[in-house]
Amino acid sequence: MKKALELHEFVKEVKRGNISIAEHTEKILEEAEKSNSKFHHFNLIAKKSALQHAKEIDAGIKTGQHKGKLLGVPITVKDCICVKNFESRAGSKILTGYLPLFDATAVAKAKAEGAIIIGKTAQDEFGFGTFSNNVGVDFEKPLNPIDPKRCCGGSSGGSAGFTALTSLAHASLGQSTGGSIASPASFCGVAGLTPTYGRVSRYGLIDYANSLDKIGSLGKTTADAALLLEVISGYDMNDSTSLKAEAQDLANANPSNDLRIGVVKEFFKACEEKVQKECMKAIDKLEEEGATVEEISLPLNAKYGIAAYYLASTTEASTNLARFCGMRYGLHGKLEGNFNEYFSKIRSQGFGTEAKRRILLGTFARMSGFRDAYYLKAMKVRTKLIKEFRQAFENLDVLVNPTMPLVAPTFSEINKLSPLQQYAMDLCTVPANLAGLPHASVKAGEHNKLPVGLMITADHLQEKKMVQAAKAAEGLK
Amino acid sequence: MSKEKGTMIGLECHVQLNTDSKLFCGCKTTAEEPNSACCPICLGHPGTKPVLNAKALDYAMKVALALDCEINQEFFFSRKTYFYPDMSKNFQITQYEIPVGEKGHIMLSNGKKVGITRVHLEEDPAALVHTEGMGSSNFCLVDYNRSGIPLVEIVTDPDMETPEEARDFLDQLTIILSYLKVFSPTTGTLKADCNVSVYGNNRVEVKNVSGKKGVEKALAFEVARQKHVLLEDKEIAMETRAFDEEKGTTRATRSKETEADYGYIFESDLTAFRLKKSEIDEMRNKLPELHGAKSKRFTEAFGLDEYTSKVLAGNFALGNLFEQVAKDTDANLAANFLTRELMAVVNRSELDIDSLELDSKEISSMLSLRSSGKITEKVAKDAIIVYLTKGVKPTKFIDGQGLAMDLNKGEIEKAVEKAMAENKAAVADLKRGKQKSLNFIVGQVMRLTRAKANPKEVQNIILKRIKGE
Repeated sequence: MKKALELHEFVKEVKRGNISIAEHTEKILEEAEKSNSKFHHFNLIAKKSALQHAKEIDAGIKTGQHKGKLLGVPITVKDCICVKNFESRAGSKILTGYLPLFDATAVAKAKAEGAIIIGKTAQDEFGFGTFSNNVGVDFEKPLNPIDPKRCCGGSSGGSAGFTALTSLAHASLGQSTGGSIASPASFCGVAGLTPTYGRVSRYGLIDYANSLDKIGSLGKTTADAALLLEVISGYDMNDSTSLKAEAQDLANANPSNDLRIGVVKEFFKACEEKVQKECMKAIDKLEEEGATVEEISLPLNAKYGIAAYYLASTTEASTNLARFCGMRYGLHGKLEGNFNEYFSKIRSQGFGTEAKRRILLGTFARMSGFRDAYYLKAMKVRTKLIKEFRQAFENLDVLVNPTMPLVAPTFSEINKLSPLQQYAMDLCTVPANLAGLPHASVKAGEHNKLPVGLMITADHLQEKKMVQAAKAAEGLK
Repeated sequence: MSKEKGTMIGLECHVQLNTDSKLFCGCKTTAEEPNSACCPICLGHPGTKPVLNAKALDYAMKVALALDCEINQEFFFSRKTYFYPDMSKNFQITQYEIPVGEKGHIMLSNGKKVGITRVHLEEDPAALVHTEGMGSSNFCLVDYNRSGIPLVEIVTDPDMETPEEARDFLDQLTIILSYLKVFSPTTGTLKADCNVSVYGNNRVEVKNVSGKKGVEKALAFEVARQKHVLLEDKEIAMETRAFDEEKGTTRATRSKETEADYGYIFESDLTAFRLKKSEIDEMRNKLPELHGAKSKRFTEAFGLDEYTSKVLAGNFALGNLFEQVAKDTDANLAANFLTRELMAVVNRSELDIDSLELDSKEISSMLSLRSSGKITEKVAKDAIIVYLTKGVKPTKFIDGQGLAMDLNKGEIEKAVEKAMAENKAAVADLKRGKQKSLNFIVGQVMRLTRAKANPKEVQNIILKRIKGE
């Protein structure tokens, strides 16, 4: 695979007039179309509108009208993020035909900086998965470009898969609820950045779990992902949970070698040895280059993270998915019986197995008689887990651990896992997501050519430190 | 009263707040054409998020404060999830654990205190339209203009004992709402779920009854029905019933899941709201004088009887008008005239007193003419009818018709003299003590003066003449 230009280099060349955006866009669309029949990274390829947009920008550059940090950069968008007039299904059959009337704020911001949306990427239905194996009814699973027998990780599987696959300048908008950017970034060997909860507006994101969902970025390098994250960050009055925090210069953040790093003991111990080894090698090098490294313990997060996460997320998901019932938008059917029968019919047909499982789980956890024991308990536990992180950050800049406990598994390996075993794979990523902490996954090394991801977690709103540490880890040879 | 002892009534009132825009989006709250005031947010489109209308929250807090509630310094919204075609998201954003206010009360006109359990803010679902009637239609239409309109829910303790008390409660409540200017009685909706139990038996809920009259009627039927069931030695089923407005009866609906099964969770698309105690105090201090205080003040300041004060204060616009009119004329006359004559015209002609924009100076001038005897009561009544229904100002009306009794004494004397000379027989009868003749002669004088003399004055002059000269 030929090395693509980093985005900031690409944009510089575009502005100098050395790159035709129309040609570049055409090339990447061709690549997307050609690879998609095999790898299924796309739920939609927007050839016509992307080419049209590219031509407009080319024309604009000549007259000096078009500027922007992402001028002419082809961007893919996870299916659950709304793009105006692009069928946006969050990987679910039940949203067949849904054409949003608006752009998600993150998409609008990227467009405003000159990005070209070339398609919507494959994912676990509504984000319900760790391997992109839980795709919706009638959808194809995205395959890992390094080894198509293996998964891309998930749920932002298509985003990571195509980011790894393409030979051209490109970045992707992903979304994470419990680790859905970090997991596929790790399995595909790309950089994935998940911001602090509230840093990027969720307006236009088709909800999985509102208190956990974050839109983030994926790129071939941390610099690429950081540039896109910088563009989409910022307060948005359309999202009440959006933060009025000072913007940070992420694209130009220098790698930092003098960080105080905490190695999370419990998360390491839970990983396969080969994964531990690759990550430890990277950490040792960081220490050699000047970082202070110490082992720290997050016992509560290790013990209760998964349970609290799956209760909180499925409870919210079960209410978010209530609106899909064959009225107003999405999948429709023949009107028969009373409304209850009709809604049930559409929901039975439109949702996949894992979506149904999570609706049942989440509904159960908030039912009277169980609500206190499950939902409310999970909320209380969540507060305790955040406190544990807060203490850890009193003396540390970032925490590190393997992103995933294993390298990208094959689909036959995944099929042998029970749902609960699959959920347990999120052990390292879930805690930072529950706490709303910014975190990155970068490639630390390889085992048998399969990438191993290192996860770097920073304190709330410390995206810059996260990027600085990620760049340092990425630069190690 | 004693007959009704043992009846317990509690209400859950849903009142539409009269904000310009909806609770969670910028759509208008008024629209003619169905589905013309809606957007992706109130249609519940995937990807949209709610943003709270600060004005609606302000209104709900005013209501809670006016009902003497304790205001929670931190509160949040919840999702109440159930499937129904009028729900754009199949969950309603409402308040559950911690509402805006709790533990307030309202005074009924009989002096009884009705406890307010809680006051909270929530969104209205869409409207279902059964074009061919509820029973026969095999389809229904959904109008999302109503989806997301802000409602304040006021839940009472089961402190009312009769349907009349429930009606009075709603009267008192709507007066308070009109003082706060948060509810429009002409365009806004008021609905209530009515909970009734008799003699400590099972509680029955009559859902979604519209309007104050409806609530009173539904309760009257329901209390009678429950007592009848008991007389037949049967048990009262704990159930939800619907009110048939036309028939004035209630009927059992298909049993719905209990409240707890709504599976409430926090609405994490909205953040928690935190208020400082000082902010709450400031809002409380800014509340307008409410009708209880105003009516007391009227009695004390103007020497009005309690009943009249209550009637005046019971209508925000009327109370204001009275205060303005009373500045320039006799307060007692003004109070009586406004509560009786003016309100009679308002009610008869079904006018909206809030939108009348009456000139208080006109009314006070007219009343001053009346109190100095320059116009008759009939003229005053006619003048207010013409003013309210045709917009002709009273002073203009009186001038134009030459209705003021503004003849001077000499002119009246002349007319009396003439009348007495022309009706000698009547004068003679009067001298013999026949009172009827006095009225006759007065009438003759009024005819001669074309009613521009004060009859009382005319009478005095006649009597003087009979006695003396």
